[in-house]
Amino acid sequence: MAENKWGMIVDIDKCIGCQACVVACQSENNIPINEEGHFNQRRAIEWIRIERYWEGEFPNVRARFVPVFCQQCDDAPCEPVCPVYATYHNSEGLNVQVYNRCIGTRFCANNCPYQARFFNFWEPEWPESLKNQLNPDVTVRSRGIMEKCTFCIQRIRRSTREAAKDGQEVEDGDRGMSPACVNACPTHALTFGNLDDSDSAISKQSKEELKQPAGSRPGGRGYHMLEHLGTHPNVVYLKKVDKTAEEHEVHG
Amino acid sequence: MIPGDFQVKKPTSKQLAIFGTLGVVGLGSFVAIALGLTWIVSAWLGMPVIFAHDQGPTQPIAFPHPTHVQDLGLDCTFCHRNVTEGAAATIPSAGLCLTCHQVVGDGLEQIENMREQVADDRPIDWVRVHRVPDHVHFVHEAHIRRFSGVKTVVEEWTDPNEQAGEIRLGEALRIDPSVSVGQTMEIAEAQVCSVCHGDVGSMATVEQVRPLKMGDCVDCHRDNGAPTDCTTCHY
Amino acid sequence: MAITRRQFMTYVGGSAAGAVVFQACGVPADELLVQAPVEMPEDLVTGLDNWYATLCRQCSTSEGIVVRVMEGRAKKVEGNIDYPINQGSHSARCEAGLQALYHPDRIRGPMVRVGERGSGQFREISWEDALGRLTEQLQNIQNDGNQSSVVMATDPVGGHLGGVVERFVSKYGGRHMGYEPMERTTVRRAIKHVFGQDTMPDFDIENSNVVLSFGADFLNTWGSPVRHARGYGEFRQGDRERGDFIHVDSRFSMTAANADKWVFVNPGTEGLLALSIAQVIIDEGLGDAAAAQALTNNGRFNLGAFAPDNVAGATGVSAERIHEVAVQFASHGPSVAIGGGSAGAHTNGFANLVAIYSLNQLVGSVNKPGGVILNPTSPFKDVPVTAGVDSFADWHRLAEEMRNGGVQVLMVRDADLFHGLPQATGFKGASFNVPLIVSFSGFIDDTTAMSDLVLPQHNSLEDWGSDIPDAGPGYQTVGFQQPVVRPFFEHRGEHLGTRNFGDTLMAVALGLEMDLELPGDTFQDVLKDGARQLFEENRGSVKAVTFEGFWNGLLQRGGWWDDSKKETHVFAASPLVEVPQASFSNRDFYLMPFATTGIGDGRGAALPWMQATPDPITSATWQTWVEINMHTAEELGISEGDVVRITSDAGSIEALAYPHPGVSPNVVAVPVGQGHIAGGRYAKDRGSNVYSILDASSDSTTGALAWAATKVDIVKTGEWKRVPKLENTVTEPPRDDERLIIEITPLDS
Repeated sequence: MAENKWGMIVDIDKCIGCQACVVACQSENNIPINEEGHFNQRRAIEWIRIERYWEGEFPNVRARFVPVFCQQCDDAPCEPVCPVYATYHNSEGLNVQVYNRCIGTRFCANNCPYQARFFNFWEPEWPESLKNQLNPDVTVRSRGIMEKCTFCIQRIRRSTREAAKDGQEVEDGDRGMSPACVNACPTHALTFGNLDDSDSAISKQSKEELKQPAGSRPGGRGYHMLEHLGTHPNVVYLKKVDKTAEEHEVHG
Repeated sequence: MIPGDFQVKKPTSKQLAIFGTLGVVGLGSFVAIALGLTWIVSAWLGMPVIFAHDQGPTQPIAFPHPTHVQDLGLDCTFCHRNVTEGAAATIPSAGLCLTCHQVVGDGLEQIENMREQVADDRPIDWVRVHRVPDHVHFVHEAHIRRFSGVKTVVEEWTDPNEQAGEIRLGEALRIDPSVSVGQTMEIAEAQVCSVCHGDVGSMATVEQVRPLKMGDCVDCHRDNGAPTDCTTCHY
Repeated sequence: MAITRRQFMTYVGGSAAGAVVFQACGVPADELLVQAPVEMPEDLVTGLDNWYATLCRQCSTSEGIVVRVMEGRAKKVEGNIDYPINQGSHSARCEAGLQALYHPDRIRGPMVRVGERGSGQFREISWEDALGRLTEQLQNIQNDGNQSSVVMATDPVGGHLGGVVERFVSKYGGRHMGYEPMERTTVRRAIKHVFGQDTMPDFDIENSNVVLSFGADFLNTWGSPVRHARGYGEFRQGDRERGDFIHVDSRFSMTAANADKWVFVNPGTEGLLALSIAQVIIDEGLGDAAAAQALTNNGRFNLGAFAPDNVAGATGVSAERIHEVAVQFASHGPSVAIGGGSAGAHTNGFANLVAIYSLNQLVGSVNKPGGVILNPTSPFKDVPVTAGVDSFADWHRLAEEMRNGGVQVLMVRDADLFHGLPQATGFKGASFNVPLIVSFSGFIDDTTAMSDLVLPQHNSLEDWGSDIPDAGPGYQTVGFQQPVVRPFFEHRGEHLGTRNFGDTLMAVALGLEMDLELPGDTFQDVLKDGARQLFEENRGSVKAVTFEGFWNGLLQRGGWWDDSKKETHVFAASPLVEVPQASFSNRDFYLMPFATTGIGDGRGAALPWMQATPDPITSATWQTWVEINMHTAEELGISEGDVVRITSDAGSIEALAYPHPGVSPNVVAVPVGQGHIAGGRYAKDRGSNVYSILDASSDSTTGALAWAATKVDIVKTGEWKRVPKLENTVTEPPRDDERLIIEITPLDS
């Protein structure tokens, strides 16, 4: 089996903050309904969320959007603190949460600089008829369990299996394999693929965009979120372009 | 301060005393209950099989596997059609039963019952026998793909990295109790089922023959060089 | 030693107590219980997932979707990659169609009211009975020769279903009225005036260099957001130079947040600003000279009065800024001007939009790449592209007529009049003078709750249908909608269950012995006949030798389109119109109602995913909030979560304050769509209905509701409630001055 290292590119310059990814994720991954009270207690669960940052104020005001989700860090701060190895790094570069191991200490969430992990404070509940919508490929997490973005691993598993059935390997850019958020995104701000496959669009693009400026050649727009923490994320963000802004210093 | 925020109030000394006593008593009873439960649960897990060996559940219609498999020679995939295609083996639709039983089996009580149910558009509430928890995603198709085809029976893998043409004696014996090491056997897709399900064709009432607990899965995966990463099954 | 469960029990127990303890703790039993989400109906082929193409009917723009169906249950919605409008993507609202399908409060079958009207108490009856009651009533009215007292109110229903409705109403002699809560009548009329077209045009944002939009939240809720957003992605980072985007709006919307420049304009002066831009362009000779002649009617329309210096005061935009925008718009083409939303919802809305859309004529971007692409007519002889929509003035008149007893039967389908029409129309009170209100909705919305008879329709995922997108993608396109699952409430025999709306009307017609002259006995036949017309054209995306093959291909792809069939005829520019001054009442703040990402104009309020979708700007959910400038709020002593009373001339509502830096000090913005009196467990009695306090003012030309023309006062009530919002759900990540969460570069790589 070929080596896979799943990664994502998020182009902030394309993201418009429309929430399509958020709802697509909730539908695909059986995320409990975020009721009003859950928001009020700051306990809503959104594996992918759109953060909004203000700059300036009226009339020269700007709001910038950025989708934040589990960065599948290669050196993930959440992993070493789990007392029961419920979270670990697998061979495909994914930061995995094993629900049946989790005992709910919430150490991992507290140690995650991206705040991408969510705790089930309540038993998830749906009215009987809404349960018909639940995705049978994804475990319904019960109360007391940590959960987070999985890069829709159920889709990766399904397409790898279906490709293997025909004696092939999954193709990069296969819509069946792409996470729900990527397929939904109207502006194509999200790109998903195999970073280890040197022919894949995502590995080429991330290499190109992560280039540092050298001489007269400008650098790419790529950066890792909170890079200075040394988490080595597998998600590359592409900078927002704003001709009126000053270049923020980017150095390693 | 955000209005409406919870304000901490200092407890009175009386309250402190009550809470203290409650705490000590509670801790004591918690320890006692925890010890008791540990004993019960650990004893329970010592059991090899969840559903007892000796009996399967009673089904709403006493479907006789032996009649269909041994007498008529239907193979598993005739009814459990999805098993070579996807994750679930699936129970056939009543429509499939009716392809034959529209005409066959007049006068038999069980069959009349079934026809009646279908006519009323009522589903048959089969009782599921083999069941893994919700957090386990077992895929039939991949397992059938691994074990079907022409295989040589071996004790140990000749090449640990290339096992496609071989089958370990343990699994081979479950398919055909008469095989021996070195023998080449052609395994049909429908024969693979018996590795985990036993000889369902001979069971009047279907029952579970393997523990199908995680240890069982992992042992088999390890022995057969299948991935043992958690996300193989848990996601 | 292996032990069985029975032996184990003996060991543990020996005593009954042991057994009790064991039973009570229940560990093994729980582990065995797969929390199977699905009670599998055994009559379906289970296990494998199937994807069916259909249309999403959650908002007025239908997008092509494919639905994952497993075990006869719809699981997931994804965009249909072939469908020209959305090309594989979809919006948050499409996804929630699943929750509409499995909503716990759906209507299960026909019902008749018991108890007081509006008490929401109904009794289930058989289809036969329900159809009989409606037919009898219609028959009686027909016998009296009073057919025009029968009114059918629907959402803008297009495609073949629209044809059936029209046929039914016209054969009977009643009236059909189309209803849109935040109506776009002004936009349609302005498009007609400027481009000579009945259909909405497509905006080629993808190939545009400068996008200048006025009031329309076109990336979020206005028009065809997913299509616009797809173009926007390319516009920003496609294989081309990065485009510039200027948004003129009185509210800082999601679209404004994505613009390079957000220009605040005083409400109602968008047209002035557009004329001023036109003045600069013509004055400096930057535009198309012929178009300039035509627009000014050979100089008879004096644009000089609108020079930037003259309008700067009224619009609140500096003369330099106007000049800068005009130059950028005219000299870095191709460019496109888009207008709508609040810009068209003032008492001078039509004139505003004419001025805005005329800018396209001025820079020559009509039917050019990167500009406004006109849409061709419908490929069907009998189905027009545009569904009829009646203006607010018509509804106001209807309310009057109802009050005077001029309406005998009001039939309603997916038009939530009771929620959407401002209180000032007196519609609710007038409805008590209507002897029979019939609803065809599959859901108890506010209007259905007030009805006497309910003949519920299928959910869109269970139903047949068709749609000619308006706006289309620039070429002839027809979307086909097929049932992807069997009806959840199936109609067995003559009892219970839901039905296709078209079929219901056809059954009523049969009862009235009225020949609708339709090509078949069911709605599906009508649809198939439409498909046959396309088959006989023998062109476009689906080709087949037989009709059956064509029909299957059509359903597989989710529709038919012919990208060679475009609109080639371009009308010459017609003269600009005077922009009258917008009129407002005399209160402190302009009220800007807006549709949100989640519940839209109120149609998504019943769905929990939509309620829980954070608004992009405030991240607020589940409630009605009021956006207010943070300094103004401070002066008024209002902080986040304070319940404020918003009072207009027409009434007052309460909302939670959300001060933020993006609001103008003279504006407050309130999301529409909450405050339902019915609508199921997730919508009922939640938040406040801002529609209800709108002044009953309308556009002076078209009679459309001027929903942005209300001014309000704000008073703090003294109560406080936490704003349910996503913001601050997570603590802010550790960052320093050098390392921002969002990094920004001035360079376009």
